[in-house]
Amino acid sequence: MSDQKLVKLKWNNTEISAPENSNLLKAALDNGIEVAHYCYHPGLSVAGVCRMCNVEQEGVPRPYLSCNATVKEGMNVTNTTPKIKEMVEWALQMHLVNHPLDCPICDQAGECGLQDYYMKYGGYDSSMVDQKVHKIKVKDIGRNVMLDAERCILCSRCVRFTSEVTGTHELGILNRGDHAEITVNENLNNDYAQNLVDICPVGALTSTDFRFKQRVWYLQNVETTCIGCETGCSVRVDYNKTGAYRVKPVYDSTVNSYWMCDHGRNTYKHVSSVDRVLEPLKNKDGMFLETTVQDVLGTLKNKKLKFIFNTQMTNEELSGYLKFAGKSAQDFTFYQLQNGSGPAFDGILKRSNQNININGLTDVLTKANLAQTLQAGHLDEFIKNLKSDDVVVVVVPEFNLKEDHFSTLLQKIKNVKTKVGLTTNNSFDCLTKFDYLLPAPTFLEKEGTLFNYNKTARKLHKGKMFIKEDYNLSSYLQLLG
Amino acid sequence: MKADYQNYTLLGYHHIPNVNKIDVFESAGGYASMKNTLKNIGKQQIRDEVKNSGLRGRGGAGFSTGIKWGFFPLESNGQKRYLICNADESEPGTFKDRYLLEKNPHILIEGMVIAAYALNTDRGYIYIRGEFYHEAKVIDAAIDEAYAKGYLGKNILGIEGFNFDLVVHRGAGAYICGEETGLISSLEGKKGQPKLKPPFPAIKGYRGYPSMVNNVETLAAVPWIMQFGAAAYKKWGTEKSAGTKLFSISGDVNKPGVIEVPLGIPLKKIIDDYCGGVRNGNKLKAVIPGGSSAPVLTAQQCETVTMDYEAVAAAGSMLGSGAIIVLDETRNMGEVLKWTLEFYHHESCGQCTPCREGTGWLEKILKRKNIAELKRPGSLSDIDLLDQVAGHMRGVTICALADAAAMPAQGMIKAFRNELSEYISLQQKS
Repeated sequence: MSDQKLVKLKWNNTEISAPENSNLLKAALDNGIEVAHYCYHPGLSVAGVCRMCNVEQEGVPRPYLSCNATVKEGMNVTNTTPKIKEMVEWALQMHLVNHPLDCPICDQAGECGLQDYYMKYGGYDSSMVDQKVHKIKVKDIGRNVMLDAERCILCSRCVRFTSEVTGTHELGILNRGDHAEITVNENLNNDYAQNLVDICPVGALTSTDFRFKQRVWYLQNVETTCIGCETGCSVRVDYNKTGAYRVKPVYDSTVNSYWMCDHGRNTYKHVSSVDRVLEPLKNKDGMFLETTVQDVLGTLKNKKLKFIFNTQMTNEELSGYLKFAGKSAQDFTFYQLQNGSGPAFDGILKRSNQNININGLTDVLTKANLAQTLQAGHLDEFIKNLKSDDVVVVVVPEFNLKEDHFSTLLQKIKNVKTKVGLTTNNSFDCLTKFDYLLPAPTFLEKEGTLFNYNKTARKLHKGKMFIKEDYNLSSYLQLLG
Repeated sequence: MKADYQNYTLLGYHHIPNVNKIDVFESAGGYASMKNTLKNIGKQQIRDEVKNSGLRGRGGAGFSTGIKWGFFPLESNGQKRYLICNADESEPGTFKDRYLLEKNPHILIEGMVIAAYALNTDRGYIYIRGEFYHEAKVIDAAIDEAYAKGYLGKNILGIEGFNFDLVVHRGAGAYICGEETGLISSLEGKKGQPKLKPPFPAIKGYRGYPSMVNNVETLAAVPWIMQFGAAAYKKWGTEKSAGTKLFSISGDVNKPGVIEVPLGIPLKKIIDDYCGGVRNGNKLKAVIPGGSSAPVLTAQQCETVTMDYEAVAAAGSMLGSGAIIVLDETRNMGEVLKWTLEFYHHESCGQCTPCREGTGWLEKILKRKNIAELKRPGSLSDIDLLDQVAGHMRGVTICALADAAAMPAQGMIKAFRNELSEYISLQQKS
């Protein structure tokens, strides 16, 4: 699309500009004009079946679908005429003819296309008093996706997703007429299945991971970056005061388009899990007992501190450390995570390299002439030089940590007398090797920058603190003086 | 009635026994038009002739065949291009194509070869309705004969570079596969669902290549037009509806069947003269003039209406596929509408929401029982609701199936409102 020429057109008497011959509906949505639609999704092909996005154009005798039309210079289209409003209202009424209207028990309620458009364009009294068509209400179609065929409006987005984006073709539409329903050839078997839940405009496809946990109107969100792999997709984390509940993709033309992988959707889970380390802990015969920061730091005063960081650290965290303490390559090193399963890049989004900020750290360290600390072998040399009365501070990776791999590291430093872990969670047995555990913020609790696989800066944004505001590396360093 | 080819463009050979055999067909004068056209007439001239003849698509839409051919790109640019014959005749009441295919398959092959030559295609399909098992065998045998004679295959009639292969594809019995894009989906091996237009099949059709889809009767009329000329064809019919047309007459007449008559003939004449009048001397009540999707005409309208596209449209209905369903005084119009709506509910492909949900809803409204206490106070009467729902199904879907269900409902309400109200209230009491 290199030869995209911007042209001007009028939509509802507002002048907007859009690339010539691009999708007319997308042009409106990109310019903030509201057009009701269900089947159209900018990341998928055009189906034209929901019949909601009709527009009238000056000089064209009949209304037409904006999703199947292209932008032309000087066109004057509108979707606010009484005729179009009536068409939208009736298209909506038709969608609801066989819809079960079980909003009180539906997980989509609050973010449902049917509810939203009924409030905006419907508002009629239903004349449908006849028996509705009944279909299967609970069908596990795999990969944490649950199908309720009765709620489905057959927009076919999910079918198009599995054939166009993942190419796995698990879904199809069986039967004709009002008995048509989404069916599975085989259970969902792709790493992007949860996107179906996002693109389903109604409550037909819901996530078993999220459903019945929270009503969506009790959730806030923050746009941040996924820490699942080095792709660094733009995501939105939904949370409230009781915890984080789900991760959803946010459109980003440079990185992830409209999608994200299922692996990345798990990144919220440790944020408010039961084994979250909320206060400093002291190891007493294998049992962790709550203590205070002053107590922990007091025992560390005037000792030689050695740091083992990990590659999920943000650029700012590393810079802060370098400013305070890290003047020498003997003072710190990095623990690198093992690669995840699957190919280096699966062709869509997912990458197996889970050292998400290795490019950012390299950048920071190169500027400080300490780039050798990231090199292979530096960790072993670092450990060799450790003395038993040193204090080793290990910053435990918050996500993607494999216990086997990590416990071999702890095995190697077992001769060091005092070991402190900076961790978000206390979910692994091997963490009992630490003498102290200090709480660390998760990705949802800090601002920061990561450089992804192609060295693009990705931002982390703070949502809500589930630990105290000053429980982080630089505060600890500050307190130590 | 004695027939001869001069006076019949389509059924001229039907009186000859075994005319489905190529030798019989040829000795009666068949394939002469094709030979002459291919040897002596240029491609552009053929297209002009068809355009000038005023031939209109006989499948039901009545769009000018010449203009439709004009949309078809003639330069291939290395692209494949297809000629597809729509033999998926499934509109209830229609059985004219079947009669052609069964008795005289060669007239279709002849027409398709001429069309393929004029349109520069080398590949043709006959998409035949799945239920036409016998007809598929007949047309298959006829294609084999045509190949043996060199009328199909490579370098037809020795014309260097004119190749045309013809394949019969049997459908699986869906009404909607008679719609040209639904047909193409089915031919591609997909679920028979119409495609969003534009692009039209003439630009992007079968497997994404330009495809020309024509009805059996349309293609079968081509040999005659090429033999006797557009002017001769135009002598029949009215100014806008030229030529002759097959009508399939069913229902309450003494002699139902297929007839070929010039367009513009009075409906009364068809019923009385060709079909021997209404059965048992009963009184005519109504006529559905163009297949079950056409709005019904009352007996009074039948007195004056003539059977051409414009006159039937002026009477508030449509000529459609030329399927005349005659209903006499013993018929209950509620029942007629019920069967019609059941059919369209069953056949909706389920793609577009207004059709998928609307066809079922229309049927349910007509069959309502015990719903009085559920209704909101002041809501519409059932018959008004039926009219309203049908009204909002028209012109809002990818194909015309929603219209096909809505039009007979609205037509019936307009013509037989009282009877229909009575039917619905009787249903609800039963």
